[in-house]
Amino acid sequence: MEVTVNKVVDAKGLACPMPIVKTKKEIDTLDPGMVMEIQATDKGSTTDIKAWAENTGHQYLGSTEDGDVFKHYLRKASAEEEKAETTHQDITSLDALSKKVEGEEKVTVIDVREPAEYAFGHIPGAVNIPLDELENRFDELEKNDEIHVICRTGNRSDLAAQKMAGKGFSKVKNVVPGMKDWSGPTAQTN
Amino acid sequence: MKVAIIAANGGMFDAYKVFNIATAAAATDAEVGIFFTFEGLNLIHKEGHKQLPMPEGTEHFQEGFQRANVPPVEELVSMASEMNVKMIACQMTMDVMSLEKEHLVEGIDVGGAASFLNFASDANITLTF
Repeated sequence: MEVTVNKVVDAKGLACPMPIVKTKKEIDTLDPGMVMEIQATDKGSTTDIKAWAENTGHQYLGSTEDGDVFKHYLRKASAEEEKAETTHQDITSLDALSKKVEGEEKVTVIDVREPAEYAFGHIPGAVNIPLDELENRFDELEKNDEIHVICRTGNRSDLAAQKMAGKGFSKVKNVVPGMKDWSGPTAQTN
Repeated sequence: MKVAIIAANGGMFDAYKVFNIATAAAATDAEVGIFFTFEGLNLIHKEGHKQLPMPEGTEHFQEGFQRANVPPVEELVSMASEMNVKMIACQMTMDVMSLEKEHLVEGIDVGGAASFLNFASDANITLTF
């Protein structure tokens, strides 16, 4: 799996508790919302990183295994994101989107989370345009289409929906709350 | 999260039990305090902590420690100190063993049972090794 990350931490060859200690040191250097990849060979690191994230409030995205090397993905917690900000008026629920996805008609879903978040689980058919790339990728989208924008909590998708509305996209819907509560089918890119 | 640990034994295995939990907890944003008493003082003795004994009959594990790339005890001690783990040496045992603060690694507080109890009174996790 190839995804963009803001920081790669090499904890290969290190025994417990070093992968966690190193992770803690490095995450302090990141800005909220940034994604980190931790490479480790410690077989206990998968459960450890997950538990660590749960305790510290950071977002554990998932892990992959490549030979002896585990790659763990974390996203630094961002306090603002937990508030469901909905400045963009046109919102839709997960249920409503779920029905549309199951239906016959073509649905456009734009997932504005980071590539690593998208990779570990997204709505089948959703297109990944990370929020910070949106400005440069408007031309991939059709102005008159009904576009569903989704993220993890409804916060980044709200910002994205506002940007799109400002660019003249007329039928943009912010899907709330977001992938954290999505119970429908998901796909992974590996 | 607040973690209070009593270190009362002075072998190499004891050092790893104490400092692995302590540094992992500190890395998880916990407030960590360790009370070193009796043989536990070996773990923070300037020279002693660099050559802690392994339990009799387990010398062959030495190789395993190297293979698994386990950091030396001194590295864990300085890491704990760097991550603001509060380390309290027991005054009473120091007196019994004729130890002075200078004999111990940097950054150690010296105190009695009440100092530890005060720290541990609102701890979420209390451990004894």
